[in-house]
Amino acid sequence: MDDRVLEHAADAQMIERKVIEDRRVEARLPAHIAPRATIGGVPVHAMLVPFPIACFTGAMLSDWAYAQSANIQWANFSAWLLAFGMVMGSLAALFGLIDLIFTKARPRPAIAVWHMLGNFVMLALALVNNLVHARDGWTAVVPTGLTLSVLTVLIMVVTGFMGHRMAYARRAGALA
Amino acid sequence: MNARITPLITVLALAGCGHPAPDGAIGNNPSLPDAVQYLLPPMKITTPVGWKPGETPSVPVGFTITAFASDLKGPRNILPLPNGDVLAVEAGGPPAEPISRPKDIIYGPVKGKSHSPVKPGNEVVLLRDTNGDGKADIQIVLIPKLHSPFGIALIGSTLYVAETDKIMRYAFTPGATAIAAPGTLVTMLPAGTIDHHWTKSLTASLDGSKLYVGIGSNSNIVERGIDAEIDRARIWEVDPATGAVRPYATGLRNPNGLTFEPVTKALWTVVNERDELGNNLVPDYMTSVKEGGFYGWPWSYYGNHVDVRVSPQKPDMVAKALVPDYALGSHVAALGLAFNPGSAFPARYAGGAFVGEHGSWDRVVPSGYQVAFVPFAGGKPAGKAETFVGGFLDAQQHTKGRPVGVAFDRDGALLIADDVGNVVWRVTAGAAAKVAVR
Repeated sequence: MDDRVLEHAADAQMIERKVIEDRRVEARLPAHIAPRATIGGVPVHAMLVPFPIACFTGAMLSDWAYAQSANIQWANFSAWLLAFGMVMGSLAALFGLIDLIFTKARPRPAIAVWHMLGNFVMLALALVNNLVHARDGWTAVVPTGLTLSVLTVLIMVVTGFMGHRMAYARRAGALA
Repeated sequence: MNARITPLITVLALAGCGHPAPDGAIGNNPSLPDAVQYLLPPMKITTPVGWKPGETPSVPVGFTITAFASDLKGPRNILPLPNGDVLAVEAGGPPAEPISRPKDIIYGPVKGKSHSPVKPGNEVVLLRDTNGDGKADIQIVLIPKLHSPFGIALIGSTLYVAETDKIMRYAFTPGATAIAAPGTLVTMLPAGTIDHHWTKSLTASLDGSKLYVGIGSNSNIVERGIDAEIDRARIWEVDPATGAVRPYATGLRNPNGLTFEPVTKALWTVVNERDELGNNLVPDYMTSVKEGGFYGWPWSYYGNHVDVRVSPQKPDMVAKALVPDYALGSHVAALGLAFNPGSAFPARYAGGAFVGEHGSWDRVVPSGYQVAFVPFAGGKPAGKAETFVGGFLDAQQHTKGRPVGVAFDRDGALLIADDVGNVVWRVTAGAAAKVAVR
């Protein structure tokens, strides 16, 4: 047989093996959707997400400090952090939703849907928490406000992990 | 310890769901509902529209109400003088409070919508009725450019004016139409950059030896921190000669309408109680003021009802808290108080209390917006409060006026400062009233 034909068949086999291998890797790698809303290639969602993470965590800590000290400064800290976290978190949710709605991935990865649902619950809690913190005095924080702040952060730990897994774990997995 | 801890229900439902319960919080022994904390507190901000020409508040049959003076600039308090002249204190609040948290950004402008669009005068105006027709035909600015004045009292030939940050003294003999010399400082008063409850009510003891000044709290319920409340929520006794001060009674959240009851010769005040515990809590009240008495704020209300919004709690102070004499109703914003000293009104009104109720915001169904009458017997409340002057709030919940300070003039007529209508009203009883209300 012609050497070239043999060579070609070997290539084809190799390509086929590669495709199968790629599919195996793909199945092992975390799900991923390509962000649609980007500026200079950077996802807007990713740029906004740190704000609610920092603000809601900070609010939990300042709530805790107020519960320990009854120093009104900490309750005021919490109120601002919750308000700013709410605004930036809502914007992050908006751009996350845009990415999810306009993704070409079919079906939409389950982790993305759970990330969204979890964050909706978290933002709903944060909204209620903003109103609780608008009360006057001790009960603006203790016990309801502090409880909501902790719940918000607990949910955020889970949903944040999901989001970061979608964003970073694929690259880490592919490099491994 | 006999402190009864009122259960505090945290309600996650939005305000406005459900109708407010009937307000039983009026009288000697009010029934207080449980405290409720909302996500969105019940609220109704009324819109000022002012009086159309010829419109007046309503009075009982047989009484007549007329505008003693109109086109004033935010009259909040009045001092009738022995010669028949009337001093009106025009005032607006000090500059906006500092913003400490997001709520402050929203609350300030929202509550501000209920104030008159007319820029307050911040001055003392002399009103004189030269022809005795019950209308002032002369208006003279007696003391201009004051810093949110409110309280005013005359001892002999000395006029005392309580601005929000100080009491000043002026040489002034009734009959004069000008004050030549600048005022002299008597004492500074707690004010500062927050200055939440800024009206400093003022009255003189019956013998003229002492002044009493009301100093409201610097917050609703210490949400500005306890350090903001130094020398607040109390009545000071002031030596008019030396300016020396001492606390006369404490724990009074926002005492106004300071005046002496003529029979018992006791000092009385009306007090604005705390907000955001529900439509029917906490009732504003009027009370005789016991020397050295403590009336609960901030740790408890209406005696020993603990307010869980204050930390640390102080059971020893709660145990000490005196129960006020008479509940006027929740959120009515009682700011003026006058006892009827004469016999120009029918007999049942003799000696009774007339209360200027500026009107509520912290309630779905507005309350107050009237001058209430509480009958007195032997110098003590003896009956249910009733509307004496009404019609300030119309069916659309627009305010034509809002009553503040009240006082009886030389002829026994009731004067009412209306800071939204910008009018001083005068209520007189005809012979018909004495018959009709027998």
